[in-house]
Amino acid sequence: MSSSKDAPLSPRSQLALSCFEELLDCAVADVASECHRIARLGLDRSVDAEEEELRVWAARAAAAAAAGGDHHHHPGGGGAAEEGGSKGGVDVFGQTHPAIAADVVECMNCGRPVVAGRFAPHLEKCMGKGRRARTKITRSSTAGRTRSSNGSAATSYSPYTTTANPNRGSIPNGVTDGGSGGARGDYSNHAPEGC
Amino acid sequence: MRASINRPPTPSAEEDRDKEPSLGEIINIKLLESGEKEKLMELLRERLVECGWRDEMKALCRAYARKKGRNNVTVDDLIHVITPKGRASVPDSVKAELLQRIRSFLMSTTLR
Repeated sequence: MSSSKDAPLSPRSQLALSCFEELLDCAVADVASECHRIARLGLDRSVDAEEEELRVWAARAAAAAAAGGDHHHHPGGGGAAEEGGSKGGVDVFGQTHPAIAADVVECMNCGRPVVAGRFAPHLEKCMGKGRRARTKITRSSTAGRTRSSNGSAATSYSPYTTTANPNRGSIPNGVTDGGSGGARGDYSNHAPEGC
Repeated sequence: MRASINRPPTPSAEEDRDKEPSLGEIINIKLLESGEKEKLMELLRERLVECGWRDEMKALCRAYARKKGRNNVTVDDLIHVITPKGRASVPDSVKAELLQRIRSFLMSTTLR
């Protein structure tokens, strides 16, 4: 069987050849289409132009993060001013967010303004329900003192109110009634027993 | 007489064709209907991947896209880039295998 193109082909061979060429054209079109897609979508990592694009992206994300860090104030204090964290940098609107939420919300338990990123630990201490050792400390300090009366507890705990930073949300302030004025009576002195 | 009624006849194809389908067309139809064309296509794709032909063509496309700017390429461009090289670089074994299968198919159909 001659597969070279020099020899005259029988009609059947010609037919077979044209059929083969048609199949080959399809295969070529497949490859071209796929490469076109890769090129247009920028999926080809090894293209030189892409590295430039990556650098532009990195620069843009860094600039946005730096600008974003400056805009956010921290009235509550305590938290560090972090830039756009490791979450990838940019959302669909092109905004970057700091890794630690910087909004200030009001604690529904003690009524104090708390930084959102520190809200969970604050609540833990504030409500006295976490695994924290704070509750034990208050228990030991309340041992021997009046248990039933909440009013006198206010005077006994006054040292804490003056020394501690109210924005820290430290345990004594949160647990005692006299701490910040907003705590419920349920959670002073008796909180460890209840939990 | 309204113009809408007297429509000019539908223009015929540019190539001069008889109303009877040619042998090539009959064969093509038979290939399609029997599913053999699909099988041949799959076989060809598989062989071209195995022998690295596909990767070569993709490399050509990448180089072209890089040169021209990746947002300026069209599918037609790429097809024109690949086709001459692609046709020439198909390994003989692959071509022979496909041709063999096509010929045996032709013989089986035309004998009926």
